[in-house]
Amino acid sequence: MTDLDSEIRSLAASRRLPDSHLEKWLHLDESSRSALLELARTLKLRTAQIVTALDLLDEISVREGKLIADLLDRPSIHRLTRGAGSAPGRAHAFLEELRAMRFPRLRETIVRLETAIAALRLPHGIKLLLPRELSSDELTIQLTVSDADGLERLLNMLMEKRRELARILAMLGGGDEV
Amino acid sequence: MKFDIDALIIAEESRDSALANRMEQALGSSIPVTYVADPRAAVRPLPVADPFDAGKRRVVVMQRRAPFLMACPAGSSQFTCCGYLVLVLASNCPMDCSYCFLQEHVANNPSFQLYSNFTDCFAELERLAASAPGRHFRVGTGELADSLAMDSLTGISTDLIEFFRNREYLTLELKTKTDEIDNLLRTDPRGRVIVSWTLSPDAVWKSSEHRTASPSARIAAARRVLDAGYRVGFHFDPMIAYPQAEPDYCRLVDELLDTVPADRISFLSMGALRMTPELRNAARRRFPNDPMLLGEEVLGGDGRLRAFGALRIRLYRMLQGRFARAGVPIPAYLCMENSIAHKRVFGAAPANPATIGERLATG
Repeated sequence: MTDLDSEIRSLAASRRLPDSHLEKWLHLDESSRSALLELARTLKLRTAQIVTALDLLDEISVREGKLIADLLDRPSIHRLTRGAGSAPGRAHAFLEELRAMRFPRLRETIVRLETAIAALRLPHGIKLLLPRELSSDELTIQLTVSDADGLERLLNMLMEKRRELARILAMLGGGDEV
Repeated sequence: MKFDIDALIIAEESRDSALANRMEQALGSSIPVTYVADPRAAVRPLPVADPFDAGKRRVVVMQRRAPFLMACPAGSSQFTCCGYLVLVLASNCPMDCSYCFLQEHVANNPSFQLYSNFTDCFAELERLAASAPGRHFRVGTGELADSLAMDSLTGISTDLIEFFRNREYLTLELKTKTDEIDNLLRTDPRGRVIVSWTLSPDAVWKSSEHRTASPSARIAAARRVLDAGYRVGFHFDPMIAYPQAEPDYCRLVDELLDTVPADRISFLSMGALRMTPELRNAARRRFPNDPMLLGEEVLGGDGRLRAFGALRIRLYRMLQGRFARAGVPIPAYLCMENSIAHKRVFGAAPANPATIGERLATG
């Protein structure tokens, strides 16, 4: 057993990492094993975070045909691992970055939709809720009112914005802007 | 096409059947043949690393006790359906697509089953036709097995065509990823048989569709059966939204239309890759390095993973638009999608399943 593997086993034991994920880690090439160990230590990743990171990195690696070490060497990852902020905060941001790498078009589409929704400048009392992970094409419009005047005001606002809302629905449904 | 077969197991009750005799003649000199009183044990998983793959090479000829004819298992009230009916004449497939639902569906009985009493399905079909006089039905054999993969050994297509070609209200669909068409070219279908191919771009074929004919070979085979009097259809299913999917699918459509004129295509279907989480896990265990299994799928309301809605609808629309450029309306439908998706892609709500089925059957 190499020193590197001993260090990985030691960290895995301290975190009670499931055997399946320890095996997955140990089966990586040496540069990837090492890079992930350094990152787990730097960001003080918890057990569930290591599991999630291993799964996401494995899938991104297969999708892109790249080593995990190369994925972790990207500037967007370096910014998180070497940047300021608390370790838990950076760990959370690291996993979000991995999810963005794993689902790039989904993330881009969500950002584009959220930008379009923000541009509507809807008043307090109207919320547009996107389906979770865009798993459907249904937009939820939530109204919060406490009297009839408030209701009328929000409904009028929705009617004024109906073209923009239709555009957002078209984007959700696979329109050309996706 | 040639596939590796390790063993031929014949149930005693099927020993004198035409199908067993054909299989023995074709394979008996090259592989061990075993006769068993009870074939149930023979279809179960072997204690090996990949029992599903081992099952593909273990052919069991036996009788089917359940009905042969059933509604398409993909059908659901959640989806717009095409009215397809399925004949189960075999179970499992010698090819090995990484995304195949059989990895989950026949995990407990993975041996390649061929049903020696398959001609009993003809009585079921006669009853079906008699149950709704004047209505057309499209009936296929390519759901739990490829329709033609083993046809050079079984010759089942000839029996089926001879039955269907004399039935005005029944249309047979043979669905395949092979170019195994020699038996078809020897038989006149009298317009009552559709041969349909699942088509994928080369990138998907190379990555995921192991032991299948290349897309170009499938298209060439389609042209040959078309010239021999068959109708042809194409299933773009599963469509996989990998990063280069759009230009690749466009090239595939162009190649198809260069070989098969649009006005000779009986129908098209489209369906996004969908997997239950269990199927995806099984597929990933068997094909850990296939990137096609790792698209941007999210879990939908039916418990299946699919590319997120906007992405797959965009891909459908792109493909539909490419065919529309040919200037000939080709009947088309979506598989396992709802009516809103249909409307987004085709611009109109779909007809009911019976009407779609009728339209596809009559062409």
